[in-house]
Amino acid sequence: MIRSGWPKRIVDVRTLADEELMELVQDGQVRAFEVIFDRHASAAFSLAYRMCGRPAMAEDIVQESFVSLWRSSAAYDSGRGSVRTWVLSVVRNRAIDAFRREAAKATSDLDEQRVAERLPAPELTDREVERRDDARQVRDALKGLPADQRQVIELAFFGGFSHSQIAEMLKLPAGTVKGRMRLGLSKMRFALGDATRMAL
Amino acid sequence: MAGGCARSGDAAAYALGALEPGEAQDFRAHMETCAPCREDVAAFEGVTRGLPSASVQYATPKGLRRRVMREVRNTPQSAPAHGTASPGVAPRRVRRPILFPRRALAGLAAAATVAVAVLVGVAIGSSGSGVGSRVIQAQVMGVSGSAQVRITGGRAELMMRDMPPPGPGRIYEVWLERGQSAPAPTNTLFSVSSAGAGDVGVAGSLSGVSKLLVTSEPAGGSRVPTRPPLIVAPLA
Repeated sequence: MIRSGWPKRIVDVRTLADEELMELVQDGQVRAFEVIFDRHASAAFSLAYRMCGRPAMAEDIVQESFVSLWRSSAAYDSGRGSVRTWVLSVVRNRAIDAFRREAAKATSDLDEQRVAERLPAPELTDREVERRDDARQVRDALKGLPADQRQVIELAFFGGFSHSQIAEMLKLPAGTVKGRMRLGLSKMRFALGDATRMAL
Repeated sequence: MAGGCARSGDAAAYALGALEPGEAQDFRAHMETCAPCREDVAAFEGVTRGLPSASVQYATPKGLRRRVMREVRNTPQSAPAHGTASPGVAPRRVRRPILFPRRALAGLAAAATVAVAVLVGVAIGSSGSGVGSRVIQAQVMGVSGSAQVRITGGRAELMMRDMPPPGPGRIYEVWLERGQSAPAPTNTLFSVSSAGAGDVGVAGSLSGVSKLLVTSEPAGGSRVPTRPPLIVAPLA
């Protein structure tokens, strides 16, 4: 709980929307950033782990990402998307940088059982319920793709590989790889309906 | 879908970030003149935005929060923080996320790029909070008048003289451009006095902003610029 200067009233930062919290973070308020971390850290870690496949490396990526987000918080612009999207885009870019550096990424189909603690789901807020429902839809749409289309999308998005690298890896013409990407994303778009309305 | 365009095969790869850097640059240039490809990319990016959540979700490892917050407390923010002396906060108006095709404005960005303005960049003292100021001479294009931008503590104030009024049913709107991204709208909408003068504080942080632009828009403002910029100020 923090006390406002004017008007005089008590505000619990945990009740504020992400965009309101970001204004406080931009004012240098660490407590607001803690709430941002609490809301998005598990999604950030899950994405980093999915991309790099190593828990310790994923932790480093998340740590680097959040410190970077704090340092450059003034760059956040709510007009360009949600805080969740901003956080995850930074994590993804950091992960790509990290495993390009270390060449740690060798396969697209990661063993996700190596981290024991899956996220528990007690007392979800409405917002979190909505996010998880959206996430489940995206997962289902991705899983519902033919394996060859899913593979190129995962290699590109989670692996950070270019279409020509994927073509070389899979010994396919580049046009085939791009065609599979297009087909896959088109099917996902159809399955998800209006994806731009999702609360991600 | 841009089935008839020869470059339509690149849209999905672009949205996935899978084009090579040179290809991506070419494709961005192509999209400036190809509406179907722009629409394809916007549609595909609606999907790729959701992909990060497609991972199985795990709990944050123990100790990570403590490590992150310890480092955060020892890390200065890149832009000067303002208002940190205030012990608390009142809830502020939530700015609704505005979704718009960020590459659809590449034409405007390109137009802004050719406007070369002169950076005066003179430190003219310090405010009460100890934050320095600088003044940038902006270029006014297509109309009479002059404009300057004063930067103080990561915030901008636009100062105009001898500018024409925006016209019946219209208003001036300020846009902020970051890097190669399309200009983003601000909540700063204004007119000028009968003498053509106006001093306006610009909403939003300037961190990462490379240009400040002003366009004439229909009353109430626009989510995407509808006319070429009248004022361009390079802030980077």
